[in-house]
Amino acid sequence: MAKILYIEHNGTEHLVDAEVGKSVMQNAVENLVPGIVGDCGGACSCATCHGYVDAAWEGKVEPKNETEEVMLEGAMRVECGSRLTCQIMMKPELDGIVVRLPVSQF
Amino acid sequence: MSSAAAKGISWDPYNPELSRNPYPVYKRLREELPLYYNEEHDFFAISRYADVEATLRDRDLFSSAHGDILEFIKAKSVMPDSVFIHQDPPKHTAYRSLMQRIITPKRMYAVEQDIRALCARSLDPLVGGDRFDFIANLGAEVPMRAVSMLLGIPEKDQTAIRESVDARMRTEAGKPIDLANQQAIQQEALAGFEEYISWREKNPSDDMMSELLQADFKDPEGVTRKLTRDEISNIVNVVAGAGNETTNRLIGWMGKTLAEHPDQRRDVVKNPALIPATIEELLRFEPPGPFVAREVMRDIELYGQKIPKGAVMMMLLAACNRDESRFANGDSFNIHREARPHMTFGQGIHVCIGAPLARLEGRVVAEEVLKRFPEWEVDYENAVMSSTSSVRGWDSLPVWVGSKPKNATISVPKPAAPAAAPAAPVAEATLEGTWNVVVKGPTGPQPAVLVLERSGDKITGAQTGQGSTSQIADFKRDGAKIYWANHITKPMKMKVEFTGELNGNVISGKAKAGFMGSYPFTATKA
Repeated sequence: MAKILYIEHNGTEHLVDAEVGKSVMQNAVENLVPGIVGDCGGACSCATCHGYVDAAWEGKVEPKNETEEVMLEGAMRVECGSRLTCQIMMKPELDGIVVRLPVSQF
Repeated sequence: MSSAAAKGISWDPYNPELSRNPYPVYKRLREELPLYYNEEHDFFAISRYADVEATLRDRDLFSSAHGDILEFIKAKSVMPDSVFIHQDPPKHTAYRSLMQRIITPKRMYAVEQDIRALCARSLDPLVGGDRFDFIANLGAEVPMRAVSMLLGIPEKDQTAIRESVDARMRTEAGKPIDLANQQAIQQEALAGFEEYISWREKNPSDDMMSELLQADFKDPEGVTRKLTRDEISNIVNVVAGAGNETTNRLIGWMGKTLAEHPDQRRDVVKNPALIPATIEELLRFEPPGPFVAREVMRDIELYGQKIPKGAVMMMLLAACNRDESRFANGDSFNIHREARPHMTFGQGIHVCIGAPLARLEGRVVAEEVLKRFPEWEVDYENAVMSSTSSVRGWDSLPVWVGSKPKNATISVPKPAAPAAAPAAPVAEATLEGTWNVVVKGPTGPQPAVLVLERSGDKITGAQTGQGSTSQIADFKRDGAKIYWANHITKPMKMKVEFTGELNGNVISGKAKAGFMGSYPFTATKA
């Protein structure tokens, strides 16, 4: 088990026991974290699992592929640290990762 | 497969009585027959959230190569590659990736103020009156025009279209809106797109259409090139077809559902910050597209039943959206419920690309309606509901916003009479005259107008659809049997053969569209 800390835009924190091998999006959805929608279920086709990965973890998460880059280019409220969380697979090294959520996914 | 019959459960997507309120049957399917087989129409159906989710995510086992509508899969329908809703990877991937670069949330949000202004223009003249129609005054226009805005059609051209549309849209109070008119409006809009493509080719800007014309993309063969005009035309048709009627239906369900939940409506009026959650709950509760289908690609087994390769699997999105294991009290509308994703936009690689626009339109329409009309009641006497192979909702939803006349009554909603099978014999229409033809095409209903004339003992005529008119050929009548052929040029050159039966003032049958397969059509005497 590894932990993910999701922080909603209003500051509400959700500390989740995450399943390794599932994405940060899937872990949020399965643990009913509000603020991550994941309409496409992880196909990198909807940009409704947008989150901001805390700077301390940026070097440890997998880099963005081209599809994710393209999706983020067209997404709203993109900042540094912006990621589509369906593209970040949970692994033991990410234990404790902090992901802040945008004010809305749409 | 006798279990459905043994339990007395039947779900027939073509039964208009059932489509009025399909939810009790959906509940029984979820609880008693999570895998349902319909013998008459030969399809399987799943209704639990987890099953629908797993199926939509498994694009290899459940194919879209013959489309996502029951009749299309059965007809083994094949579409041009650029009709990407109707493809599997890698063809789907090539066009979808391009479109994800072009129809972005950013681009959709950029038209928010224009959509708001459009709503204001539609609604302001109605303030102080007694009634308006959620479809005629909003649903029939806002989604179509939002797509035009996204494509970047200049305001002056939009105004020209709007004015000609307006002239024909005026309806007498209390009368259902004229469906033939609505179809003509959509058709005119599509014709406008065609002209616009040519104009935009010569006058590039920074809108979606310019980008479609200029973008380099890697085609399914791996060649980097620009889109052809036919591809652009197909893509625009898919986008317009998918974005018009569905959002129109969302707006109708908004009018109906908020009328029936006045307490929640008043909560939203008091606190407009609840509107996004209200739109999500509307989408969950009454999905405009209640089901989608896939073709099963190998023999499988589910709930102990064998499903053969080639079978059609229907996914009942409207049923799984109320799955009690996921949504407590799923059959009740509750804008305050815990936010949780629903299945209305689908899932997986074919997830609705226009979802941000649908949500945006829903939110803006709700904001603009509620601040002008905090209270309303549906005039069910004059409301018209319809259900097709792809969408379910209101063709007309008039509401009382002022004082309701004392003699007005509220009754149960009526479905639109199924056009093909009038219950009582109807005086037979003469063939000469104007017929409104609707072919249930791949991207939704395709409207056309057929004008027939008699010269001697022959019937001749012309058919207008997709913005072009052509003379029909070989019109034949044998008793009730009717046949004619139409050589169309858009979206591509082909012969479409109409074979149908005349019953009263309706001709219904099949339209065979060259290699694209056969689709049901109805023609109604105008």
